Amino acid sequence: MKDCERVQESLGGWLDGELSSTDSDWVRAHLGGCGDCREAQRRLEKITLVLHGALASEGRNIEFLPFWHAVERRIAEKRPWHVELRDWARGTFSAPRIAWAVPAAIAAAIVLFSVNSYFSSWRGSGARNNFTSVDSIDAYGQNVALLREDDTKTTLIWLYQNQEGENETTEEPPQSAPAF
Amino acid sequence: MELTDWELVRKCQAGEMSAFQDLVSRYHQKVFMVILGLLRNRDDALEVAQETFFRAYRKIGGFQGGSSFYTWIYRIAVNLAIDAQRRQKRNPLDFRENMDGVLESQDEVARDPFADVHDKELRENLIKAINDLTPEHKAVIVLRTIEGLSYKDIGAILGCSEGTVMSRLHYARKKLQDKLSSFL
Repeated sequence: MKDCERVQESLGGWLDGELSSTDSDWVRAHLGGCGDCREAQRRLEKITLVLHGALASEGRNIEFLPFWHAVERRIAEKRPWHVELRDWARGTFSAPRIAWAVPAAIAAAIVLFSVNSYFSSWRGSGARNNFTSVDSIDAYGQNVALLREDDTKTTLIWLYQNQEGENETTEEPPQSAPAF
Repeated sequence: MELTDWELVRKCQAGEMSAFQDLVSRYHQKVFMVILGLLRNRDDALEVAQETFFRAYRKIGGFQGGSSFYTWIYRIAVNLAIDAQRRQKRNPLDFRENMDGVLESQDEVARDPFADVHDKELRENLIKAINDLTPEHKAVIVLRTIEGLSYKDIGAILGCSEGTVMSRLHYARKKLQDKLSSFL
């Protein structure tokens, strides 16, 4: 059964003559003794035959001279500049041809971000770290720090006291809503 | 003795219009068939086929022979057909009429009337099933079926690897077999 699955996966390549000689011999040998796979081969061949028949009969109906005269007319006619521009733009910027632009833009963004991160940390303390940001906020008079770390995507939240007594006040904590 | 494609290309580059006419004569039916396989409409396919040769004429001066002429012309044709398909906004009624035209023009004489009806049904459903494929899957199956091109050539035309061509063909054929299981 496993052989049948493998053969039927390779059947298209075998019919197209695209398999190595070893694989090709193996498929041929299997087909010799397997009715189900021969049936799959027949179905594939029929699809190809019917499609080729349908398109070929249409192709044969295209007479050369009228076709050639139509091409000649296109060659002879001078197209307005905006048509030329539109054709050029379609040819240059259409989806299949700018498919490379998406990965290129992502790669450029990653490079820019990396360079920026590198130089930011280099300009700072000298020792590189992987912290994205450290925020300090005041909540109900308490100092709260948030540290977000890149590698493990960890956010640490903690309360702390001012060591140097900066901004120390005896006043009541403000009654307004917290800052977050 | 018949000139090769490359010899005709060189003559075109030297300004011989008759050489270009010979190239068009050699490839116009096949190019039309490939485009018809990708588009739904015969008139659109004819229009795109003519535009393909017009573009080829304009650019043939820069053709260096890095690939074969047919790979190059099919590449232009497939790109134009895919562009046209994206722009195509035909209504389903229009589509049916056009596809009926394709089916009616079959010039095979079937000996068995039951087989004839069965084959006609199969053709009709095959064309519908192909139209449900993505342009990329449609392109590989049409190029392979019409011209019997190698995976390498198809890859060169579509700008993808041979492995991609193989997997797209496998997927497209499987889809077609699934959809046509009751007719095969």
